[in-house]
Amino acid sequence: MENNKDQELAKIRKDLKEMLVRDLSLEDINPADIKDDEVLFGEGLGLDSLDAVEIVVLLQRNFGMEVKNMDQGKEVFYSIDTIANFIYENRKKA
Amino acid sequence: MKIAGIGLVFAQGLGMGALETALNRGWVPPQEVEAPHIPGGKTPAYLVNLEALPDRSVLKKIRRSDKLSKMSVLAAADALRDCGIADITKRKLGLIVATAFGPHVTTFGFLDDILDHGDAAVSPTTFSNSVHNAAASYVCNSLGINGPTLTITQFRFSFQAALQLAQTWIDQGRCDYVLAGVVDQYGDVLGYVADHKLTTAKDGKIKPFTFKPTCQIPGEGAAFFLLGRENRGNIYCGIDAVHTGQAPDRGKPEDLTIIDADGMLPDETMYRGCLSPDVPAAAYAPLFGSMMIGSAFNTAAGALMIKKQLLFATPVADNPAGIRLLVENGPASVASILCAGYNCYSERSEILLTKV
Repeated sequence: MENNKDQELAKIRKDLKEMLVRDLSLEDINPADIKDDEVLFGEGLGLDSLDAVEIVVLLQRNFGMEVKNMDQGKEVFYSIDTIANFIYENRKKA
Repeated sequence: MKIAGIGLVFAQGLGMGALETALNRGWVPPQEVEAPHIPGGKTPAYLVNLEALPDRSVLKKIRRSDKLSKMSVLAAADALRDCGIADITKRKLGLIVATAFGPHVTTFGFLDDILDHGDAAVSPTTFSNSVHNAAASYVCNSLGINGPTLTITQFRFSFQAALQLAQTWIDQGRCDYVLAGVVDQYGDVLGYVADHKLTTAKDGKIKPFTFKPTCQIPGEGAAFFLLGRENRGNIYCGIDAVHTGQAPDRGKPEDLTIIDADGMLPDETMYRGCLSPDVPAAAYAPLFGSMMIGSAFNTAAGALMIKKQLLFATPVADNPAGIRLLVENGPASVASILCAGYNCYSERSEILLTKV
């Protein structure tokens, strides 16, 4: 069971990294180089508020997830790990 | 007004060096590109390969932009680099971006996204890039241009309209310099329309002097001209006149007539009206492709020839009408060049370039 969860989270993380690099046009960044716990906004990967809006749309389009609350968004969008966990938990609820 | 710098990006590269190389080399075959809506699934086209350009550093600031805006920024930055005036953006510098179709690829992508994902799940970035002013905004932001800025979307003669407006801004004193340019992009829809409404050149050659029937190969790119009154910068030539409609008789013939014929009209016989047996003629669309903004690329070629006192042969010399063509490259005394184009109503445009 735990193994399945790890595998599923790993797959979500991989898809997320590829999605961010492709759809946010992150030039010169290899998806594999993004660390799972790397801070996405500000000092880390350097994403900004426009990217946040784009990620909201990407999650809705690709994973069927809605992030409506900006406070929740701050927590969810902290790193690849936090987004992957959000997707995993909400998929289970759906 | 004078041309104090030129920047361009087209299928054969970035900058006036790439244009000179292309003019020296002559015709090269177009690429075969995927065209899902055309029988056979492929079409020839002269497309810009942004990935292959040697210096893309300016694009790092505009990663969200679409290809139309990226081509605009590359060409505009190239024009400012080419002028060599260190403090150019501190002067009263205006910007005019002219286009025939604007960001149609992004606009169709945006509409497709609404159909595929619903209006709540459409990329806001795609939307912001789909407005016609996006390219001008990216250019201003990237290059620090603070003067008046305008986008002209006009099917035919948009380049000429940009030049006329630039002249007005300079005459009024609103600007010391104006960066006036054109941009257009190829896309599946444009390829479909061009293939269905016009004739695609099966052998990959646009034949500007065949006149009828015509054949086209779609192109894309951007060309920007730094225009001003002063004698500073990398002066190419003067632009003595820009006419659309009836042009006055100038009295003496030019050293070369460059025509915009490129197969974008099914009948281009009206071009005979601007050609004279006393003046050699050339057309350079076979180097960059058929575009509604092709005048700008022909003007860049003309400006280069005046600056360097060189003439470049017309790249495709099929000539059933026996026009006097420029068929050899070489040094020459070039005092003036007339760039002529026609629209679908047989109205003529003229841009007169003269040695400064």
